[in-house]
Amino acid sequence: MIDFVFLIISVLTILSSIMVVQSKKLVHSAVYLAGSLIGTAGLFILLEAEFIAWVQVLVYVGAVVTLILFTIMLTRKGEEENAQ
Amino acid sequence: MMIANAYELIVYILTTIGVYEPINNIFMSFGLDDILKIIIMLVEIAILFAFVLVTIMFLTWMERKVVAMVQSRYGPMVTGPRGLLQPVMDGVKLIGKEDIIPEKADRWIFTLAPFIVFVPALLVFIPLPFGESLIISDLRVGLLYIIAISAISPVAILLAGWASNNKYSLLGAMRAVAQDISYTIPLALAAIAVVLFTSSLSTVDIVNAQAGTWFGIIPKWFIFIQPLGFILFLIASIAEMGRIPFDFQESEQELVAGFFTEYSGMKFAMFFLAEYAHLFAVSGIIVTLFLGGWNGPVIPFIPVQITSLVYFLIKTYAVIFFAMWLRDTVPRVRIDQLLNLGWKIMIPLALLNLLITGFVVTAGVIQ
Repeated sequence: MIDFVFLIISVLTILSSIMVVQSKKLVHSAVYLAGSLIGTAGLFILLEAEFIAWVQVLVYVGAVVTLILFTIMLTRKGEEENAQ
Repeated sequence: MMIANAYELIVYILTTIGVYEPINNIFMSFGLDDILKIIIMLVEIAILFAFVLVTIMFLTWMERKVVAMVQSRYGPMVTGPRGLLQPVMDGVKLIGKEDIIPEKADRWIFTLAPFIVFVPALLVFIPLPFGESLIISDLRVGLLYIIAISAISPVAILLAGWASNNKYSLLGAMRAVAQDISYTIPLALAAIAVVLFTSSLSTVDIVNAQAGTWFGIIPKWFIFIQPLGFILFLIASIAEMGRIPFDFQESEQELVAGFFTEYSGMKFAMFFLAEYAHLFAVSGIIVTLFLGGWNGPVIPFIPVQITSLVYFLIKTYAVIFFAMWLRDTVPRVRIDQLLNLGWKIMIPLALLNLLITGFVVTAGVIQ
């Protein structure tokens, strides 16, 4: 049962990590990054490290991803499209 | 016999009426006893979500009624007794609306954002004790879980504002997130001061630490030990919810409707429902931390689960009523006043509160 859950969470984490570098739009990358970090928190819960898991969600998803999104939004949209 | 959570309560009730054993034997004979556990858990989560959704619908009605009362109007009166079925009609109307996605919007993120707002708003209820043993899961880090899950919603608000491709949405989202992250700090610091007293992050331990009375009259609620902490937590949570006087994310005169300007139909309804779920959750957390949770006088012959649920709901609705009352009484502050209040007054006061609490706990004055 635990192995099965581990497999699902790991596959989701790895897939979203790949999508972080694969997706064309920066904001999509940030969303996938949040997904990958939540997956890591899920792995911590499987290891019965609840405290680290929720600190992971609080610090990385709550603070770091918000910061990244803020930074992306302060850049202009045209530049991003010209770069492609 | 101690019943720790809702799962054990359901098993206890089923055992008492003599149904649990035969059902369990049927599942055991197929070797599927895990399946029975999962079914019971799904049932309790379904009960919780149904309860929360009905409460949200009731709160939308209550908000209108309170506003109407303050402004000497009747409010909704046509559908059902005293307009009680108004939320149902609103829901039917919103389901019937066309789901519009702006042409230049980022379709994928535009659709995803309401869900990322709505799911954490419901997840917060998992470690919230509604009454003695009426809790889905008594996590060891319950309070940290609540703070961490609430930290996800700013991400979704930013995404919603950005994906709409509308300047009002983006401005509203920026404001909402700036406000959210500056008020999370005093909120967490005020909560930590309570944790210093209980030396546990579990919500059940926090409620149990508030049982009993001083001199037989004053209940041992943390509001009497932590008056400053309570005021800071209340102000910070009203700011986090984005209600008047701190509703910059959707200040109608300037920003149309803030980050959900472009949303319509069911997606708009999800933002709306998440807002009221947040109101209910935050009021429940205030009650748990400072107002003694489900503690109250014991009434003989009635199961403690029922009386504690009633006490919890009375206290929660008192806090909700206060928030609605505040909305009708005070005007909106300016954005610079809001950020000054957050960074220059609330955070230093929260740190001071934490320092004093540390001294009191170390000296062992209050046990």
